[in-house]
Amino acid sequence: MTVDIPRKLVLRRDPVDRTFRGVARGGGIAVLTIMLLVGVFLAFRASQALSSDGVKFLTVQDWDPDSGKFGIAAVLVGTVLIALVAIVIAFPLATGTALYITEYAPRQIRQWLISLVDLMAAIPSVVYGLWGFFFLQGNITPISRWISQNFGWIPIFSVTGVDPNDPLPTSTLYTSSTFIAGIVVAFMITPIITAIMREVFAQAPLGEREGALALGSTQWGMIRSVVLPFGRGGMIGGTMLGLGRALGETIAVYMIISPVFVIQTHILQNGASSVSSLIALRYGEASPFGLSALMAAGLTLFVMTLVINFAASSIVARSRSGASS
Amino acid sequence: MSGQRRRHATLIGLLSVILFTLATITTTVSSASAATSYVPISGAGSSWSSNAIDQWRRNVQQYGIRVNYASTGSSDGRNQFKAGTVDFGASEIPYGTTDNGVTEPAPSRGYAYMPDVAGGTAFMYNLQSGGKRITNLRLSGDTLSKLFTGVITHWNDPLIKADNPGLTLPDFKVVPVVRSDGSGSTAQFTLWMSKLHSSVWNNYCRSAGRKVPCGETSNFPVVFGKGFVAQPNSQGVAGYVAQTANVGTITYVEYSYAIKTGYPVAKILNAAGYYTEPTASNVAVALLKAQINNNPTSPSYLTQQLDGVYSDPDPRAYPLSSYSYMIVPTQIQDGFTSAKGATLAAFANYFLCEGQQQAEVLGYSPLPINLVKAGLAQVKRIPGAVVSSINIKKCNNPTFSTSGVNTLAQNAAQPSACDKKGVTQCTIGTGSTKGSSPAGTGTGTGTAPGTGGTGSTGTGDPGAATTGGGTTTVINAHGSTSCDADTGICQVVNAIPVDAPLPSSWGISQWFVLLLCLLLVLAIAVPPIVVIAARRSHRS
Repeated sequence: MTVDIPRKLVLRRDPVDRTFRGVARGGGIAVLTIMLLVGVFLAFRASQALSSDGVKFLTVQDWDPDSGKFGIAAVLVGTVLIALVAIVIAFPLATGTALYITEYAPRQIRQWLISLVDLMAAIPSVVYGLWGFFFLQGNITPISRWISQNFGWIPIFSVTGVDPNDPLPTSTLYTSSTFIAGIVVAFMITPIITAIMREVFAQAPLGEREGALALGSTQWGMIRSVVLPFGRGGMIGGTMLGLGRALGETIAVYMIISPVFVIQTHILQNGASSVSSLIALRYGEASPFGLSALMAAGLTLFVMTLVINFAASSIVARSRSGASS
Repeated sequence: MSGQRRRHATLIGLLSVILFTLATITTTVSSASAATSYVPISGAGSSWSSNAIDQWRRNVQQYGIRVNYASTGSSDGRNQFKAGTVDFGASEIPYGTTDNGVTEPAPSRGYAYMPDVAGGTAFMYNLQSGGKRITNLRLSGDTLSKLFTGVITHWNDPLIKADNPGLTLPDFKVVPVVRSDGSGSTAQFTLWMSKLHSSVWNNYCRSAGRKVPCGETSNFPVVFGKGFVAQPNSQGVAGYVAQTANVGTITYVEYSYAIKTGYPVAKILNAAGYYTEPTASNVAVALLKAQINNNPTSPSYLTQQLDGVYSDPDPRAYPLSSYSYMIVPTQIQDGFTSAKGATLAAFANYFLCEGQQQAEVLGYSPLPINLVKAGLAQVKRIPGAVVSSINIKKCNNPTFSTSGVNTLAQNAAQPSACDKKGVTQCTIGTGSTKGSSPAGTGTGTGTAPGTGGTGSTGTGDPGAATTGGGTTTVINAHGSTSCDADTGICQVVNAIPVDAPLPSSWGISQWFVLLLCLLLVLAIAVPPIVVIAARRSHRS
């Protein structure tokens, strides 16, 4: 009796295959290593400030590292508020744009529209900042005023110091606000959200679309019952990627806001803050300890953005459209 | 099939044309820069003096000197110089000041101070009464410090009324616009407040949570809820005040920014009881009283002590006048080479001599002869400096004279009687807004002094202002000003002599712009065309 000994399988890859695997693996490892090094660098540089400040770093609102009173409570809240305003504006805008491009736009102009939206992403952020500071700010204040006068009973829309009977209302109360910075950031993150949504909407299966139409649904009915449910993962993921960008947006916010170091939840009122603009504002003039404090603020932002991006990618991967892509 | 091949041929042709054009441009640029012996240098710092520095570095481009300057604020300039990331810094205040309890250490690299220009920290404002812009506001030191510490909250405050008997002041909120970054302008202004109005300043500092006595600080403390606005950089604060809708705002910024944006500045009460404007001659008068450190061995050689300026009894003096400084290296280290030293020295020789002629037109004041001489001596300490004997008489500096007195200060016009404290104020506007104040009666404007002239400002002469269809051209002490009738924005039209290349209507820069436009169109058009083409060929 002879026992069947399985033949030993030897996988022999040809050089092209091996090179490709090497390059791909090297790229993946490099990205992870760089991320890790950035995190380690920030943590190392931040350790001096963090060890002297301890838990207070998360609760103190002031930012005055040299006298020992500093914390990110105010700037972190400010960052999140600006990002939320941006998302509230950018989400409907991007959804509408992506749906129009994939579902409604005539075939001939579709590619043109895609290039235009991509070009919007190519505008430098300092240009958005200049536009926001010199043009948008002067023209948006009447809208801010209208919202605060009619919806001021909602806490976030109230503006302190406004006298409705003042015959000489000044617009300065409504300038340099979270709201204006949020609008500008919204325009900056719209292209990336649009691009991701467009990709997933275009993947909605043709068979299901035709099925919906054959059952008598209108085009909007088909979009509601097929395209949107199919693309839900992509919509959420794209929005969260946009949120990650909005949290880190620096120079446009730096140019528009008037920095304050208290928790300021009135989004229409003058005075806002964000971590990245604080770093841009102070890194040049900071003492070594001040720089360490700024690094600590940067570390917080880094961790927060990382968590959001991981959450986004896991949502995209678990969704139907994400799994197939 | 043949159609596809033709398309490919067209694409390749197009690509080769683009590549060829790019190659031509690069070779032209590199051959142009190889012709000069200077190397590019970079600096950072003061935005107070950046209008002058920017003008000078544009002027020296014709000699092949490339200077990059980032007006990121004095604090940033000092820090970057200390870290060795720039070749020179620019700052209003020296190293070693104590700010909020922390004393700034001096850099470890060798450095020297060199005055570059004088000027006045002006108070630019945006105020309307009855739909017309107020341009002849006057403020005493006490009122001014109360405006910037939140004590005075409305423009119709009795204190402001006392300074301005001739004005009907509106009930607008006062919105002080301060710098959010570390700034030499803030340091100069807070130093003045801490010296002359210490109780007001210390009260404010206490409410902002700072230790008192507060002294000078580069970072203006902002108390949330008092209606202050903080903006980065001089451009930021001036740009904020200059937005038409931001009525009620006032900021501290160098006089040149007010002239540039066409907004008025407040006349400030001096020790002699006259309200003065930071014109070149008024600044020159006040700075006669500045104490300069004359000890060449001291590390703070040439730095200023301004107590005498604040209390100058001359009726023409502008109390918030000061010098601005460049910080230059005296050792070869931190990437500073002798080639860079030669370039920096050439640049410094230019602005200390010829460059001073333009100080007045830009809204600054030229350096007096003793500081020009001391500055030129400092230039020689820069490693690699090519020692050149500069004939100081050929500088055409308006302050120079054969007898050694400061001509600009000596010939400065005495203030008008209407600028005296208690007298109903003059109706002529300030800055580049002369002849347009609501309290005025349409008085005309002054005549322009000649270059390097006496700096006297004539008054009266109605009809010097000509009203055109869309723009109004006003001739004043700062040269021509062109005002847009719709927006009311004025721009100074300076005539600055430069060696212009041969007049050509279509040069390399025009081609470059055309190329850029073409590239932009291509960036929009090419991707869809390629995709459509690819789809068609795929289908066929």
